[in-house]
Amino acid sequence: MYELNICHLYPDLLNLYGDRGNIIALQRRCQWRDIEVNVENISIGDTFKYEDYDIIFIGGGQDYEQTIIQDDLMNGKRQAIVEAVEDGKVFLGICGGFQLLGKYYKTNNGKEIECLGALNVWTHAGDTRLIGDIVFEVDFLKSHGKNYCIVGFENHAGKTYLGEGVKPLGKVIKGFGNNGEDGFEGAVYKNTFCTYSHGSLLPKNPVLADHLIMLALLNKYPDFQGLTPLDDQLENLAHESLIKRFTE
Amino acid sequence: MKKLSEKFRLGLAIIMTKLTVFMLRLAGRGGTSLPGKIALKICPDIFNKLSDRFRIIMITGTNGKTTTSRIVAGMLEKAGLQYVSNKSGANLASGIATTLISSLSLTGKPIARTALLETDEAAFRTLAPKLKPEIIIVTNFFRDQLDRYGELYTTLNSVREGIQGSPESRLILNADDSLCASLGQNTSNPVIYFGLGDKVYPEDYLIANADAAFCINCKSRYEYLSSSFGHLGHFKCPNCGYERPAAQIECTQVLEYDNLSSTIEIQIPDGKIAVKLALPGLYNIYNALAGTAVGHILELKEDDLTYVLEGFECGFGRMETLLVSGRELKMILVKNPTGFNQVLKYLLTQNDKCVLAFSINDKLADGTDISWLWDVDFEILSFMQNKVRRFFVSGTRAEDMAVRLKYAGIPSDSIFIKHDDTELLDSMIEASNEGETIYLLPTYTAMLEIRKNLKKRYNLKEFWE
Ligand SMILES: [Zn+2]
Repeated sequence: MYELNICHLYPDLLNLYGDRGNIIALQRRCQWRDIEVNVENISIGDTFKYEDYDIIFIGGGQDYEQTIIQDDLMNGKRQAIVEAVEDGKVFLGICGGFQLLGKYYKTNNGKEIECLGALNVWTHAGDTRLIGDIVFEVDFLKSHGKNYCIVGFENHAGKTYLGEGVKPLGKVIKGFGNNGEDGFEGAVYKNTFCTYSHGSLLPKNPVLADHLIMLALLNKYPDFQGLTPLDDQLENLAHESLIKRFTE
Repeated sequence: MKKLSEKFRLGLAIIMTKLTVFMLRLAGRGGTSLPGKIALKICPDIFNKLSDRFRIIMITGTNGKTTTSRIVAGMLEKAGLQYVSNKSGANLASGIATTLISSLSLTGKPIARTALLETDEAAFRTLAPKLKPEIIIVTNFFRDQLDRYGELYTTLNSVREGIQGSPESRLILNADDSLCASLGQNTSNPVIYFGLGDKVYPEDYLIANADAAFCINCKSRYEYLSSSFGHLGHFKCPNCGYERPAAQIECTQVLEYDNLSSTIEIQIPDGKIAVKLALPGLYNIYNALAGTAVGHILELKEDDLTYVLEGFECGFGRMETLLVSGRELKMILVKNPTGFNQVLKYLLTQNDKCVLAFSINDKLADGTDISWLWDVDFEILSFMQNKVRRFFVSGTRAEDMAVRLKYAGIPSDSIFIKHDDTELLDSMIEASNEGETIYLLPTYTAMLEIRKNLKKRYNLKEFWE
């Protein structure tokens, strides 16, 4: 019997845009395969020992709420988060969570707010919010020669840029992506995946959800053979109808 | 010379607006925003010009604006005041301009002296200072349509700015909402607070996904003596001391509470009334309290307050019941997680077999980002699964909704996708027996489309009337 432990960081503060849908998706897709799954919520004041978890999730918050966690994050959990990323833990960061994992956030008046620095990416405040449906193509999810696109919704003022060692998650087909300039969306470093795409991401992009689950299982059980397929008729219908609607 | 042309522009705006309304009606359309748009083009400062012709009451906040507005309307009627109000969700500048101008004679004299204006939170910022309302009601702040407004605190701040530009206005604020109540801090405006008394709500409610769990002044986590729903309750900041203010209009007891109504006791500054509200849900108690506050300002007697509150029934789209092919169709508007959760809790009180449909659109008026569906606790539907014959999903985001239900634990084979409204209604009728209830929960534009369909089929009234 396989077992996965999922950590949801600051679920009471960083919980915009249906972020918990991603947790629900991971949970359900494990349960449907008889993989035991535990979800732990870790927030302000809680001890975070990354070794206890197989998948770590951090979502986005409002500016105000992000300032509330600032101290706990930078002085409390920073080292453990950086180590988790370096150690190859499966880590998913969305929107504000994506920005926080980077090096800094530069505000409109030039002030650089230090972030976790777990990823060699940085964010500059933009003049307008980049809002709308987004579709992007992800190479490593290609199967049977077919391109796999991810569909979601983005809503961010920050423009994020990737530095050396970090690869984009995908190529934008529709929408703005990281900065609306270079045509890329998200970031991948080791087993850490970041994106601006919420909406909720994993339920309607089941291939990505399974990719994360599989990586986590391989991390923990090196002899793991592969996931049993699920009946994804509804998920695929949602996925394909949206891709079709936004790209045709 | 300038004065003359100014007057001319106002006159022209009035005539053009009336003409456009007339033409739209002639074409069989409910024109609520186009006429006002034209008026604002011709006469951009029309609100400043019109403000002193009306006694204005503005209602803003994320949830409950329409219901509150209708209760206030009842209070105005009881007080014998002629009023105009905006309807059908026309709560942006253009809709409000249409409403005000429609109640002027061609020479610019108001037919009704009072204007009751449900106002979009973002539009409120610039509208309030121009309209100089006598009364401002703010219902609450819940997460709503983030793609349009950015963030909840942006919404709060735009209302705050609107109030700062209206120093004379009397404020009616929700005491139990730490965000809303903060509007009454450090201001010279007279304030009336409304809220639920401590530990009045019959259920224990866990603050699960609170929109505002941390102090707006100092960012410490609030402590709650008791809570009603969402982040509403008797909050107190242990650090800076900001706490739920005393409420002049307070629900002191919930005597009875079921799926259709609630009987409550309301404390007003000079007395106490017990009323049976013909409205389901705790959120409607708040709406009733806000309405009572206006009744109090209008100096209505206790009997009159009771009369208005008890006589009030659900209005346009919020919950509408009609008989279709021997079934009771209940249509309830859904637009954000808090409201949606309240509707789901209401559905749990359903005892008999029923059919349940969700119609989710992602058009501009609905909010183009539907990620909030994942913040709704559809998981509680598993408690009534054996009562629901079938689940239907429709709208531009039908598939998203289907996936949401599946992940909430509803078996895929009891979820049916219908993209066509006619087909949806037919299937719902077919899946139910005579005498049963069919529930239809649409977002705003989905509701308009379904109403149109129902109107044709069952010969309903025009909705803008
Ligand atoms: Zn405080």
